Amino acid sequence: MDTLKKVLIGTVSAAVGFFAVTFTVYFFNLDSKALTLLEEPLLKHYEKVDKQKTNKNL
Amino acid sequence: MSKKLNSEPLGKLYNGKKTIKRREWRGLRDTLYDYKCWLGIMAYLVKFLTNPQNLKGMFRYRWMINNLATLDFLDRHTAGARGPQLRMAHLEYDFIIKHMADNMAAQFKRDQNIGGSKKLSDKTVIFDENMMSQVMNGFPNLKAISREIPPIFTGSTMRQDSEIFYIDVSEQYGIPGDVCPMPAAELGVAVQDDYPEFGCCILNANTTCDTSLMGNGIEQRHFDIPTHQVAVPINYTDPNVNDYSAQEIKDAIKFVEDQTGEKFDWDYYFKCMKIFNQETRNFLEWLEVNKTDYPQVVGNNIAPFRYAYYMVAGGREIGFLDAEKKINKLMYKAYENKVPVVSEVRHRAIVWGVQAQYYSHFPAWLQNCWGIIPLVDMLSLTSTKIYSEDDKEQAYYDMADLYANMVMRNRSEGGYQVGVEDLWRFCEEFRADVVIMYEHIGCKAVTGYHGLYEEQARKHNVHLIWVTHGLMDPRDASRQSMRNDVNRYMRTVFHEEPLDPSLEEFDDSNAY
Repeated sequence: MDTLKKVLIGTVSAAVGFFAVTFTVYFFNLDSKALTLLEEPLLKHYEKVDKQKTNKNL
Repeated sequence: MSKKLNSEPLGKLYNGKKTIKRREWRGLRDTLYDYKCWLGIMAYLVKFLTNPQNLKGMFRYRWMINNLATLDFLDRHTAGARGPQLRMAHLEYDFIIKHMADNMAAQFKRDQNIGGSKKLSDKTVIFDENMMSQVMNGFPNLKAISREIPPIFTGSTMRQDSEIFYIDVSEQYGIPGDVCPMPAAELGVAVQDDYPEFGCCILNANTTCDTSLMGNGIEQRHFDIPTHQVAVPINYTDPNVNDYSAQEIKDAIKFVEDQTGEKFDWDYYFKCMKIFNQETRNFLEWLEVNKTDYPQVVGNNIAPFRYAYYMVAGGREIGFLDAEKKINKLMYKAYENKVPVVSEVRHRAIVWGVQAQYYSHFPAWLQNCWGIIPLVDMLSLTSTKIYSEDDKEQAYYDMADLYANMVMRNRSEGGYQVGVEDLWRFCEEFRADVVIMYEHIGCKAVTGYHGLYEEQARKHNVHLIWVTHGLMDPRDASRQSMRNDVNRYMRTVFHEEPLDPSLEEFDDSNAY
């Protein structure tokens, strides 16, 4: 019985924790804000991509 | 901040940065629904990026950076929506986002630049992004992919500055700066070698326009695989062109058969056309409801979804039909309950002309700021004919008709009746008192109609609000300048105050 109770409490706590974290991310738009931080490094990376066929026939 | 429409000043969520400060509160039930959909999309995008081939694509192609704005794109197109409209929006946009991700995954799987499958590549026919795809309804063993859609068409709706780099590349290459930014960006991607490399052959078309055709010609030098151009007649409403049009379709089918060794499968074609016809019937139901006092599927909830199933899927994907069934159920229930789509109905509008890709969520702004309901847009008012489901000879003519009625060109080409007269007919049918008239600076297709629209709008007692834009280049006309075109008219002609004053002027110049 105790084990069942523990599992139940653990599951509910995990669900509440998951909801609290993800809803905070959702509501304060932290996902989109975090993704904007990737732009600079990604743009620098794209400048270095080796393109064998650049301007082929153009 | 509640479940009521216009309960939150949406303009205050913008702070001059790329993203909004926070997501809007739509009342408990709608916010939780929006959150649930957000979780679903997040999970799908994470799944997409955990595929090694997709990850390679992410690091190979500069335009993949546009997809960082996917969730922002979703927020913009659902802004202010509540109840059934929010649910319809998610049914459509969540599906479109997943469809887009699948399209990119299909490209990367075949992409020779990043070690994709040659076998799959050889079974793929590349389609111009400005082209109907119904010819492929007869080739179940082949995959039709529009290579330009992720970098250009959807990229430009994801973030407003997405195409600037490629437009500039194209200008540096020697293309004049005043051409349409769409083919310019398409060419820029080719010059940068930023298209995934795959496919056994290409089908192109002169739809939407000659600029697109010319761009394709130059790009062809880069792709260097067999290409066929379908030349769709400009004056397609003249029945004398029908035989020629049908022959163009026959030639296109023969080209695909010759290049791939496949034979046109009529059973599969008619199976797809049954789906396509049912989609048309559903669309007609949306329009009928929108003619009443309680329109339901309006503005942003019509356009992108309609373009996607009409042109890109063409009847080959049952998923669109499944989503429509759910949308229709929501629509009829909302109609019976007389659910309003704006907090106060000020004006009923038809949206005419080609929309700004970088402001595809403009209809939501019209609703939230001024209570203008965009009942239907020109690009969605394409063919609503029911096509043959068993007559092979007729099918060539049907396909020809569909190609002529491609999304972006069926009213900008075709002459006075479909370009001008039909507008007034739609105004009457939908009891619209306003026409939001998009004017794309770089497009010359309807320039000759400008004076006719002005003159005839007065005669039909319709208010014409011109909204100037640059299609894919916001440097030509910013989102705020588009809003100002409407603001000015609403204040000086209608003497009205906005429903949400925070939306009249706000800084989204750096926003996605």
